[in-house]
Amino acid sequence: MNRSGVRGMLRSPFVIVTGVVLAWFVVTFLVWPNANLLIATFFPDGTLTLRAVDKLISSERAMRSLTNSFLLAVVLSVTVNAVGIFIVLVTKYFDIKGARLLWFGYASTFIYGGIVLAAGYKFIYGENGIATDVLLRFFPGLDPAWFTGFFAVVFVMTFATTTNHMLFVSGALGKVDQQTLEAAKSMGASDWTILWRVVLPMLRPVLFAVTILTFLGGLGALSAPQVLGGREFQTIAPMILTFSTSLTSRDIAALLALVLGVATIVLLVVLTRVEKGGTYFSLSKVSSELVKQKISNPVVNVVVHVLAYALFAVYTLPVVLIVLYSFVDSRAIESGELSFGAMSLDNYARVLGQSSGLRPFIVSVVYSGLAAVISVVGLIFVTRILSKYRNWLTTAVEYLLHIPWILPATMIALGLIMSYDHPNLLVGNIVLTGTTVILLISFVIGKIPFTLRLLKASFASVNDTLEEAASLMGARMMYIFRRILMPAVLPTALAVGALNFNSLLDDYDTAVFLAHPLFQPLGLVIKANTDGAVSLDARANTFVYTVLLMVITGVTMYLVYGRAMRPGKGRRRRAGRGVLPTSGGASVAPVPDASTRPGAGVTARTATQPSAEVA
Amino acid sequence: MIRYENINVTFGDFVAIPQLDLQVDEGEFFTLLGPSGCGKTTALRTLAGFVQPAAGDVHIDGRPVTRLPSDKRRVGMVFQNYALFPSMNVWENIAFGLKVRKESKAEVDRLVRDIARRVDLSDEQLEKDLAALSGGQQQRVAIARALVLQPKILLLDEPLSNLDAKLRGQLRIQLKELQAQFGITTLYVTHDQDEALTMSDRIAVFNHGRVEQVGTPQEIYDQSATEFVCNFIGDSSRLTPDFVAQVNLGAGSDLPLERSSYLRQEKVGLQPNPALPRSAALDGVVVSRRYHGVHSSYTVSSHGSTVKVMQREDGTVQPRVGDAVTLHVNPANVLQYTPDGVAAATPDVAAAEVTLR
Repeated sequence: MNRSGVRGMLRSPFVIVTGVVLAWFVVTFLVWPNANLLIATFFPDGTLTLRAVDKLISSERAMRSLTNSFLLAVVLSVTVNAVGIFIVLVTKYFDIKGARLLWFGYASTFIYGGIVLAAGYKFIYGENGIATDVLLRFFPGLDPAWFTGFFAVVFVMTFATTTNHMLFVSGALGKVDQQTLEAAKSMGASDWTILWRVVLPMLRPVLFAVTILTFLGGLGALSAPQVLGGREFQTIAPMILTFSTSLTSRDIAALLALVLGVATIVLLVVLTRVEKGGTYFSLSKVSSELVKQKISNPVVNVVVHVLAYALFAVYTLPVVLIVLYSFVDSRAIESGELSFGAMSLDNYARVLGQSSGLRPFIVSVVYSGLAAVISVVGLIFVTRILSKYRNWLTTAVEYLLHIPWILPATMIALGLIMSYDHPNLLVGNIVLTGTTVILLISFVIGKIPFTLRLLKASFASVNDTLEEAASLMGARMMYIFRRILMPAVLPTALAVGALNFNSLLDDYDTAVFLAHPLFQPLGLVIKANTDGAVSLDARANTFVYTVLLMVITGVTMYLVYGRAMRPGKGRRRRAGRGVLPTSGGASVAPVPDASTRPGAGVTARTATQPSAEVA
Repeated sequence: MIRYENINVTFGDFVAIPQLDLQVDEGEFFTLLGPSGCGKTTALRTLAGFVQPAAGDVHIDGRPVTRLPSDKRRVGMVFQNYALFPSMNVWENIAFGLKVRKESKAEVDRLVRDIARRVDLSDEQLEKDLAALSGGQQQRVAIARALVLQPKILLLDEPLSNLDAKLRGQLRIQLKELQAQFGITTLYVTHDQDEALTMSDRIAVFNHGRVEQVGTPQEIYDQSATEFVCNFIGDSSRLTPDFVAQVNLGAGSDLPLERSSYLRQEKVGLQPNPALPRSAALDGVVVSRRYHGVHSSYTVSSHGSTVKVMQREDGTVQPRVGDAVTLHVNPANVLQYTPDGVAAATPDVAAAEVTLR
């Protein structure tokens, strides 16, 4: 990476072509929509007005959604940490029988999240839900809609967002040096003292970061409150969606999006500080691997085992039921019956065989595939330039490319709608809203920061001397790019592409704003199926979609992270084997890389992406 | 003070220590020396209580402690990487054990400051984060943390292996001085023979979980009790029977020819040593020379043996590769071992304290 001036950089035709395209993209899709949102809110007629603020304050629903969102964020920060730390301790720290099995159960959130997870919980615990039917048999007085409102949202989001703990807290715990535990023990510290005074304090930075991510997830939650919140419990993001549908209330939507954006930025600044504030793990050169700790008090030991398996049931029950019921016909699902005789592949045949069933799946696959390819291919060129030339211009561009990372997806979507629902010169005077392109654009936008960071780390890990050697032997820039750099970054590029594809497949939060009415992706269809007044087969279809998504996600995760992600002895020692870069760049930080931040909604799965940590 | 009695340690199928008997005296600086994987750290951890032996007993002050938890054994330990708690500052690290004991606040502070002064840590350093300390300062924190609980025994597990060569040399001296100052019985584990020789009162050389020899550094070096010890410590050349026969011929000695024979590189000279009149002179040719500044290492081919010779670079003209030279060998310096690897009984070696098996 050489420091080079802007003028020298602009002599290369490759840089100029890439640069022009990049500049247009950044201005058109990253800067202008969000700036326009700000302008439309505060300067609708060219002069500053606080009318939107007045409207917001006088809207009881909007104000309540604000309080609800902050309440949800605060409560989740507590519950997710409690559950998250517990599951990490029982799988990685304490000597618990069957820890491996427990790990797989808790890891179920790796393969399904977002709208799919919220829908799954609703089908099981909601009105007419399978579990509710069973409960009603035992407690006839139970309100069938017991699983709704604040409690249901907190419950679902708590178990959906422990993914960050599984990734980052586990990773950090793995770096705790066994010798420090022995040192504490030799000085007479009890199990509890060691955990409380030695181990947890060492995890403080990562816990803090994970808490912020959880807080942000709660603040921007969309699908869980929408599906399970009921009328009583609505939060900011669903309100933005509601308000944005009408022109008269759009400014309130924009203002709410801005509130969300500002809160996100503030918290991310804090997170970045924490990341910089140093980590606790670099002290020793020779550390010995953590040995699972036996719980010496037998009573505590039994209690912890019972709790661990109870949580295991909570995590796995929806997955198991979804898989089982995906084989059962719609009528049996309705009556809550489950017998092996009633099982068949009919649901799969219907979904995969009928165009109406298959269509949303195809739409999602095409959108996700295109967005994954475009984001990775485009950013390979951009990242190449950013990592080769270091000057004020490339630094500025890099910051701008992080915009989707600091702003919630809801705000970006709204910005795109408000900016391109009328002809605009930037996009050749074409109205983008209502076309199929706008969702693709926003998918690509959303994937930029994550892709950029990992590709940059990958480029950084290529030894500079390789390039220098090649150029000494007369190779031209494009030749070096093709023969030296590409092979080196290709594994990362493929992995990032696969993860991008995965996370977009069941996207709901963006699609709900931008999707074309005739090309509805899976997330929207699944959401629609939860609303009740749909056909008998809708629920069965959703189960099939969910199973297919889980299979696709599971396979991708296995291919990308491979064996490295599985629990067991020496796992971290073999840590270098994953596909994602383990050196250089942000991806190795023991504190969650901020590109992991969940967007709006129960985006547990997006959060798993940047975990070079586990790779 | 410390006694290992018939200790047997196994990890699953692997026998780390088949049978260990060892005695360490009060106030001693005692080193467990051996290559990696030889069981020396396991022996130390057995004493600390981190490893439970399958059989045998560990005694401290005549009392069996095998079943006692580690914190009841009154041992302090400095770990290989110091195992300092990264989330606490220096003061908090040192105070940890005292707080666990629930000492009063004032007492904790008094003891922490007292021990810090004695290991040369200033009051400002006490408030610092660990990352702000150098390797040597971190080591002193680790020692202070161990000593503040007033243990009877200090255990040091390769505490210098983490550091670069120069600092290692300085800390070796500091560590030894601190031990002398506190007068505490110290068990030191290392694979570095230099460390062992310079610091220890006595050394136990480990190999495959067994003690090959126990003795003072000089005994270990000059009268290596087994072929393993002879090869592990110092630099020596294996001699052919022909070479030994020539030594017998030249010096009038009667070294048995069928034994494995070794000669340390500094115990053979290219000039006659007037202090050793009974030396044999053997012809040889210089095969190679490595220059070290203070000395040169020669390899000389003589009577089928490849003999390493250390020659001081004192400014005189030195032979070059290909030159014919004469090796001066004192038969008393030839180390001999029977086929089972045990030192041939010379009076000196028999006197050395050997605890075999």
